Amino acid sequence: MKGFLAVLRKEAIHMRRDKGTLRLALGIPVFQLILFGSIDTNVRNVPTAIFDQCRCPESRALIDEMVATRTFEIKRDVTSHEALREAIVEGSVKVGIEIPPDFARHRQQGTEATFLALIDGSDNSIASQALGAIDGLALTRSLEDMSARLGVSTLPLSPRPQVLFNPDTRSANLLIPGLIAILLTFSGTLLTAYAIVRERERGTLEQLMVTPVSSAEMILGKLVPYLVLAFVQLVLVLFFMRTLFHVPIHGSVLLLAGLSLIYLTSLLALGLMISARAATQIEATQAAQGILLPSIMLSGYIFPLSSLPLPLQIAANLLPATHFVSISRGIIIRGADLHDLWNEVVALLIISAVLLTASVVVFRRRRL
Amino acid sequence: MSGDAGIEVRGITHDYGSVRALHDVTLSIPRGLIFGLLGPNGSGKSTLIRILCGLLRPTAGTAYVDGIDVRTAAADVRRRIGYVPQRFSLYEDLTVLENLDFFARVYGLAGEHLTTRRNRVIELVGIGPYRDRLAANLSGGWKQRLSLAAALMHEPRVVFLDEPTAGIDPVARRELWNLLFELSAAGVTLLVSTHYMDEAERCARVGYLYLSRLLVEGEPESLLRLPAITPPGTRRVEAACEGSATRVLRHARALPYVEDVTIFGNSLHLLVPESVPDESIRRDLAEASGQGLTIRGILPSLEDVFVRLTALQAEEAGNGKDGHR
Repeated sequence: MKGFLAVLRKEAIHMRRDKGTLRLALGIPVFQLILFGSIDTNVRNVPTAIFDQCRCPESRALIDEMVATRTFEIKRDVTSHEALREAIVEGSVKVGIEIPPDFARHRQQGTEATFLALIDGSDNSIASQALGAIDGLALTRSLEDMSARLGVSTLPLSPRPQVLFNPDTRSANLLIPGLIAILLTFSGTLLTAYAIVRERERGTLEQLMVTPVSSAEMILGKLVPYLVLAFVQLVLVLFFMRTLFHVPIHGSVLLLAGLSLIYLTSLLALGLMISARAATQIEATQAAQGILLPSIMLSGYIFPLSSLPLPLQIAANLLPATHFVSISRGIIIRGADLHDLWNEVVALLIISAVLLTASVVVFRRRRL
Repeated sequence: MSGDAGIEVRGITHDYGSVRALHDVTLSIPRGLIFGLLGPNGSGKSTLIRILCGLLRPTAGTAYVDGIDVRTAAADVRRRIGYVPQRFSLYEDLTVLENLDFFARVYGLAGEHLTTRRNRVIELVGIGPYRDRLAANLSGGWKQRLSLAAALMHEPRVVFLDEPTAGIDPVARRELWNLLFELSAAGVTLLVSTHYMDEAERCARVGYLYLSRLLVEGEPESLLRLPAITPPGTRRVEAACEGSATRVLRHARALPYVEDVTIFGNSLHLLVPESVPDESIRRDLAEASGQGLTIRGILPSLEDVFVRLTALQAEEAGNGKDGHR
């Protein structure tokens, strides 16, 4: 206990003296929040080229309707099929629309009027949304024409969709709660990744090892000051999420803060484990990166967990980030309470306890 | 089972993988003594110290520090020892006081006891004027004294110093040694490794490690009289040259009865048969070199002892080569 308090006090002094690191530790998550939080994942204004061989009021109407969806933005007018294709290959546009010369005639006669839509498949989310928008547009127009011809004013089937929690589908509201988990993963793990290996490199660990301080006292004494720092990071990020991006927190802020302490503990313990093992700071950095990238890819922040193959789903559940992404989204977006998040909380507690124990064991084995 | 020894080493052997760092070292250092550990780089000095501090587990053998077995009760040993490593190992971004307080607290000192103890240690090493300075901004000599001060906070019974005076100036060196004498007078056992012969001569006992073996151990005085150093029927003389000793050296080597010559400033130290009187050595050297010189009988220096022992060991190793890798 005495050793723990002595180490804690010493770490606090180190932290206070190292103003540069302190500024970076507090500034980087906020900077990244502002940077990544501004990304709009709704596909809008897809650059589009038009090859209009008809140049008639009918083709103009079609183009106007496409622009009205806000999905497409007409960037270029081309005069051949080849030029249309070339515009997509060179990447200046993602969608090419070719309207044949007989488009007006077919539209007037009510026979099948076709147009060609070339879609760049190299970007998955743009391709699927562009396809959906074009399909929707053609379908709506067809239905309107047909019902006018038949003289009916109602459609036989009409859905009434209601998007819960984020009615305006603002992407910041969806993105930032998950982003918080990811930002903390990085800064949290890296904060402690150097805590022990730095002392090993500078030789101060050797001096420490001839004192009666125990491995557990060392680990905990180093963890607690960083936990405070990481918690300040979290509060800052939440503050800017609320004030700058106007993301509403539907659940309890206190619950979020409390659960984040468990999450931060697991991250710091992971960093300490890496640090206890590594011989040099460079080695620690590499190990941390090796663990951080999967945390981001598999946490459910980028890809939904359900889209992962089973072995990766299992791996994902071992990552603390996975559970905190769920918790953060649950509390902020859906207003979930402890009862709703029980599974995630238990998982996070177990992971934290295991990582903390592991870091003590690794340090005890490795020592110098 | 360790009697009155401050440090008791019995048959310690240590291997780093396939490299033997220490071979069957046995050593006993009475309480309150300053023991000087000498030997070239890589001879195993630091390894021995690190084993005695509980930082390394010996491959074989036992060792007791202040009566405690370092293999089975390393934690108990840690409470009783202070360690000043070769390289400055305190926190450079902490002040002198913060460093001292940290090490005191790690040992469980607190409150008034800590303050009293800290003041006493600060007074002992005289670091008072720098108490609020960052350790990074201290000179080499003061860093060493701070290291020693930190190692003394918990009143250790045994203190290990691994080349504490390497790279610090002569004045700081002497002051550090005065401190060590004070500690020794207070009953603290000290084990100091060093490369400096004058430091070795200040120690109550010295040991010489060479190629992982402890070649010799004892009081400096008694080492000087070891028969192997000055074999029976020989004696050592000093030839003080009026001119440059380096010019006499080659003539001395050429004399048939001179068994060994070493240069010391403006004199030569010669190992000669007892049967050759001072006067004939003087005459022979003066004639050969054309320089005036005076001859007197001397005891070997500690350096002579170690150089001689190293040469003997190398010869022995050369003869017994068949059995080794």
